[in-house]
Formats: sequence, structure tokens, C-alpha cells
Amino acid sequence: MLMGGKVRQLQDVVREIPSRGAEIALGGFAITRCPVAFVNELIRQGKKELILYETIGGFAADVLVGAGVVKRYFYGGGSLDKFGQLRRVNEGIENGTLDVREYTALSINLRFLAGSLGIPYVPSKTLLGTDILANLLSKDNEAVMVKESPFDGEKYVCYRSLQPEYAVIHAPCADEKGNVVIYGPTWDEELAKAARKLIVTVDKIVSTEFVRQHPEMVVIPSLYTYAVCEVPYGAYPTSVYKAYDYDADVLSAYGRLNHEQAEFNKWLQEYVLGTKDHNEFLLKLAGMEKLAALQADPVFGYARGAQ
Amino acid sequence: MAAVTYTTSELMAVTAARALQDGQNVVVGLGLPQVAALLAKSTHAPNLNIIYEIGVVNAEAFDPGVGIADPRLWHRSEYFTSSIGALGSILQKGLVDVGFLGALQIDCFGNLNSTQVKLADGGIRHFTGSGGAADIATFARNLFVIMKHEKRKITASLDYLTSVGLLEGGDSRSKAGLPMCREVKIITNLCVFGVNREQNTLEVQSLHPGVTREDVLANTGFAVRFAAYLQTTGIPTEEETALLRTQIDPRGLFIK
Repeated sequence: MLMGGKVRQLQDVVREIPSRGAEIALGGFAITRCPVAFVNELIRQGKKELILYETIGGFAADVLVGAGVVKRYFYGGGSLDKFGQLRRVNEGIENGTLDVREYTALSINLRFLAGSLGIPYVPSKTLLGTDILANLLSKDNEAVMVKESPFDGEKYVCYRSLQPEYAVIHAPCADEKGNVVIYGPTWDEELAKAARKLIVTVDKIVSTEFVRQHPEMVVIPSLYTYAVCEVPYGAYPTSVYKAYDYDADVLSAYGRLNHEQAEFNKWLQEYVLGTKDHNEFLLKLAGMEKLAALQADPVFGYARGAQ
Repeated sequence: MAAVTYTTSELMAVTAARALQDGQNVVVGLGLPQVAALLAKSTHAPNLNIIYEIGVVNAEAFDPGVGIADPRLWHRSEYFTSSIGALGSILQKGLVDVGFLGALQIDCFGNLNSTQVKLADGGIRHFTGSGGAADIATFARNLFVIMKHEKRKITASLDYLTSVGLLEGGDSRSKAGLPMCREVKIITNLCVFGVNREQNTLEVQSLHPGVTREDVLANTGFAVRFAAYLQTTGIPTEEETALLRTQIDPRGLFIK
């Protein structure tokens, strides 16, 4: 394993994160590129009272909330696509144990955008007239205000800049300097660029010469990156386009067991707390045969015939 | 010639597809909206641009997927972008002609709830939330919704207003500061609702073949208005049903 530049061991980077109240923006989307290895390590190291931000909630956030380590969750909605709902998140909302701040995919990203541009806020018409806005306005310290534009006198929602302490995204590869290559859509680009410290887990560290041959594939250049951790299959059981597919068996089972806290607790104990690292998690939950079968077809970018 | 045989979901997909025009830009999610957009693109609208909010433009999926986060739906795309790229520079800029949404509930003004429902015991049940839905309803010039026609879903009052349709009718939408919404079209298994221009409220504009006014009244939670010139929804052609069955949804994942 290459260990130069910004390359760090996952456990060491997670150890740096405050044990209580850390602010982390997560980069996944439902069932793709969720930073699962990172999130599992947060739980193993006993981090608590996390303040989480996410565009669209997915598998990783549901596991964190289920593990009881999230204090406040800012997100634009979320699900496991056809595999189910974020029942740990939703139940937390239903019984009031999770302090949730519901945004939308655009509105939360306008906050990240303002953060990435270094400006105090971004105005937008989105959320005017909705209960989403009414709820946000009713919360203490919420970062939205309705104001008239000085230019056209029209009503806008001002979305306050957000620069989370950490952003954690998973990508197929990066070089040791922290130039991050992502294939497919890049819904997490704004939050990655907004954070004060960007941590990237990658399936593979590639040479800077590879990056120099393909600079157009670099979505996030090294100057944003705080640390790079090489964690093969670091998003499993969610997918990484052009690397590996999601595990439909595991996700559909999870989409059922996350309905009950007791069932979830058993799963967490067995696969996360009961494993010492991501390799053990992979071997226990998937096994070598399954991981090989999930390898992406180079033309399609997912495993044809795997599901 | 024998009459074309079709199912209700085929009729819904065909009705939605015909409402899309060539050259339009449409944001869709998985399911019947995506099926309808692909049918339109395969027939009268070859220049339709189909956008997924995750940041995917004009994909040509080869295998069916489980949602827009499934790389199967990103196959042979023309463009990948970020959240702001899709929902900011495309949607908020005003480039989207039609936003195609689903919902848990819809009211007589076409406002949508995809967040949570109230339970009989006073509690709530939380679902997916907005995603890009509220953003799409804000900025798309036309809002299309496909949903099942049930009294508890097509309702007098929403448990939660996630996405704005006509708000409270009249000029309430523009008074709230929102951009204009030209058309709200709701395609159910019984009928098609559209906007009555004078009242700026929803009215039933066509009934599906064999459906009566009484069927609609019995299954709708609000006082239904019928258009002065109530039409019968056009039935699918053989070409359309053949495309749906053999090319667009051959495994019958969305079309039943």
C-alpha cells in the first residue's frame, strides 16, 4: 500500500475526529458510494452525538442513526431506493429521538455551495410555500431566512453558508496527493468542496502519473483533500460505478431488518461491532465469492447478471 | 381489425407520454414517469432530454434498475453533473419544461406530500421526504404526477406540504414568491386532472374509457370539478403497447 503524501490509515484518521459532537457531511446517495467503511469505524471507535449533513440519505446514515450516535441530521430526504426506507432515521423522526432538519436536494446543496464559494448565503425561491420551510423557520438557530432581493424586490429564501468540520466521501480512486477521480454523477462535489477537512476513502490509490494522463476525470483536486484512505470495497454493500455493484441480497435484507431496533442491533453487533475492520466486515457479510461476482463489467459499470 | 388490448398502467404510461412534447426537458424518477418519458422519446419526442436529479442526463439504460442511484440507470449517458449542476444550473435556471413526480398524497390544488402521513393514533409515519421533489415543483414549468386514485391519497387536506402545485389556487403561487407553474397534470388509474384556467384549480379533464363520474367522486377525497368539455382518455395504439411490452419494460417491472 502506498503511504506517501496525504495517505493515511482509516483507523488513524477516525481517531482524530472528536469523540463527541463532530460535524460530518457524508457523500453517499441512497445505495451508491456511501462511505460505509468510514461510518462503521466511527461506530467501532465509539464516536457520539454526531452532527450529520447529507444530500440524500442512504444506507450509511441509517446505520449511524440506528447505532444511536447521531444527535442532529440535516438532509434532503432519503431511502434505500426499491430496497426500502431509512427506517432507523424515520423512526427517530416519528418518536422525536432524532433532531432532524429536513431540507431538499437543492436547498441543502445551496448551503454547501455558499460554503464552497466562501460567501455568507445563497438566495433561492426553492421551498417557498412548503411545510419544509415552515419547519426550518420554526427551529432554533436554523440557517434560513426569507428576504426581499435588493435588486428585484422579489421574495427569496436565504440559505446560510455551511462549511462542515469534515466531509467524508467515497470514490473509486485518488492519487497520494489527494486528487480524487469519480466516475458517474458527482452529487457530493459541493459538500466535498465546502468542508474544512475533506477525508476521502478510495477503493484504490493510483499514481499521480495516471492522474496526469486523465486530469479531466479528477472531480476534486488535491488542494481540497485532507486525507486519503485506501479501503478496497469501502462502499460495500453500496455500489461504486465502474468498480463494483451493490449487494442486492444484503440491501434487501437490511431494508427489512431496519424496521425493528432489536433486529438492527443484532445486525450491528454481528457485522460492525463484532468485526475489527472493513476487511473482516467484507469477509463476514459478503465473502470472496460474492465480492468477485460484484465486480463491475467494464462496459456497463456494474455487474451484469449479478442481481 | 381487433381492438387494441391494454392494461390500466399501460393507458396511464401512454397518456403521460403523449403529454410530453418533442424537444422538452423533463426531470423524472424511477417507475411509470421514467417509462412514460422513454415511450415518448421512442415515438413522437425523439429530442426529449431526460434528466435524473442525481446528476444524469439522457441515459440509455440497458438493464432495469432499482432507483436513480442504481448505475444501471446511468448507462450510455450524455452528461454527468453535480447536485448544483442538475438542480441549480439546469432546474433552477428554468430549463426544465416538465417535472414528473410521485407522491403519498395530493390535494385539489396539486400540492404534494412525499414526507409523512398522520396515523389514527395521533402519531406520524415518515417516508422518503423531498429529495429533489420540492425543488422540481418550484422550478419546472409544468408538473406531472402519476398516482393511484384512492380517497386517502387524493385528499382534501395534506398531512404535510412537501411540494407546491397551485398552492391555494388563484394567484397564491405568485404571491408566495414562486415562479409560474403553467400546468399541473395528474394521471390516475381513473382519469386525468388538469388546471381550470379561470379558477386556477384542478378539474377532471378526461375520464379513462369505462370510468364514470361516480367512480371518480367515490374515490376522491375532495369536491371534484369536471371540465365543461369532459373528454374520454385516448387509448394506446398497437405500436405503443408493443414498445412498452418488448422494449421499454419487457420484464413488466412497472407496467402491470
